[in-house]
Amino acid sequence: MNTNINLLLRTDEETLRRRKRVKALNFVALMFLAAIGGISLIIFLLIQIINPSAILREQNNIIKKISQFQNKQAKLFILNDRVENIEKILAKRKDLARITNVMLAKTPSRLFIEDLEVDDKTVIMTAYSTSLSAIGELINNLTDMVHKKEIINSLTLNTLVFDEGKNSYQVSVKAQY
Amino acid sequence: MNEKINVDLKSLKFIFERNKPYILPSIIIVICIALFLQFVIPQFRILSLAQEEARLASLKLQILKENLNVLTNTDEKSLDSRLKILNLALPLNKDFGGILNSIYYASQKTGVSLGSFSLQIGELADTKKSVDFPSISLTIPISANAPAVNSFVEVLSKTAPISEVTVIKIRNVASSIKLSFYYKPLGFSNLKEDMRINPISQKGLRIINRLSSFENIESFQQVPIATSSSQDINPF
Repeated sequence: MNTNINLLLRTDEETLRRRKRVKALNFVALMFLAAIGGISLIIFLLIQIINPSAILREQNNIIKKISQFQNKQAKLFILNDRVENIEKILAKRKDLARITNVMLAKTPSRLFIEDLEVDDKTVIMTAYSTSLSAIGELINNLTDMVHKKEIINSLTLNTLVFDEGKNSYQVSVKAQY
Repeated sequence: MNEKINVDLKSLKFIFERNKPYILPSIIIVICIALFLQFVIPQFRILSLAQEEARLASLKLQILKENLNVLTNTDEKSLDSRLKILNLALPLNKDFGGILNSIYYASQKTGVSLGSFSLQIGELADTKKSVDFPSISLTIPISANAPAVNSFVEVLSKTAPISEVTVIKIRNVASSIKLSFYYKPLGFSNLKEDMRINPISQKGLRIINRLSSFENIESFQQVPIATSSSQDINPF
C-alpha cells in the first residue's frame, strides 16, 4: 500500500493553478478592454482636436472679405495673363531690323543693293558693283560673320554674273541663321 | 474505431461548472477583438481623413490670407494704368484702330511713305483657341531706301500693339514689309476661390516699364481711341 497518496493536497494545487489561469485570463481580458477603450477615447479626442470647423469659419470670413475686391482680383488676373503672354511674344520675336542693319553695315559702299530679303530664317541679298573687289569684300565680311557665328551660320553664293548691259558684276548670296 | 461519446446533461453541467471562470474573460477578449476590427480600425481611417482635411483646410486658409493681403496691398489706380498699357500692347481682340495708329505713327516718325495695304478683318471676336498667339498679318509697301525701311521697322517694334516683322523686302525704292500684329483673347478661366492670386512680379514690372517706353503709348493714353481691348471684361 502506498502511503504517499494525498488527495487533498493535489486538489489544492490544481485549484491554485486554475485560479492562476483564471486570474491571467481575467487580466488579459481587462487589458483588452482597457486598450480598446483607451484607443477609442484617444482617437475620438484626436478627431475632435483636428476638427477643421474653426478653420472653415475663418476661411468663410476671408472669402467674404476677398469678394469685396472682386474687381481688383479680375484686373490682377488679366494683368498677369497679359504680362505672361507679352513676355512670351517678346521672347520669340525676331529682330529683323537688327539683322538688316548688320547686313547693310557689312556691305561695302561700292556695292549697290538691288534686292534684300530678310525673313525669320534666311537673308537673300542681290547686289551689283563695277568692281569685283567690292563683291569679294562682301563675301569675306559675310564669311567672317559665319566663322564668328555672328547672326548667320551658313552662307551660299547663289550667283555671280557679269551684266554686260549694266557693265557690272551682279552677286546673289543667301545666308541662313 | 468508432467510439461513442455519451454526453448527458449532468456531464455538460459539470463541464460548464468546471470552465465557468474562463467563459466571461474569453467572451470579453473576443468582443474586444471584434470591436477593434469593426470600429477602431475604421476610426483610424477617419482620423487620417480628418488630418488630411485639416491640412488642406489650413493650406487653403493660408492661400486665402495671402490673396487678401495681395488684394489689400494693390493700388487700384496703378493697376488700372498698368492694365491699360498692357491691353494696348496686347489687345484682347483685333484692335484695328491700334494697328493703323501704330503704322501711321511709325511712318510719320521715319518719314517713309506707305503704299496701299489692306487689313483682313475676319471675325472681330476670334474664338479660335488652337493658335497660341493669334495675329493680324498684313503686307505694307514702302517707298523708301534700305535705311529708311529699317528705321520704320525699328520704330514699329517699339510701338503698341506688339507686332513682329516677319519679312523685309528691300528693292531700290519699292520695298515692302510683312508684319503681324498680335492679340490674345482671355483664356477660359476656371478660377477657384483657393487659387493663388499673384501680385505683379518684378519681371512683370520690367515688361510694363519697357512697354511704357513704347513711343505711341503716351499718345494712346492721352487720346481715348476706340480699342477693342476692353477693361470691363470680368472673368468672374
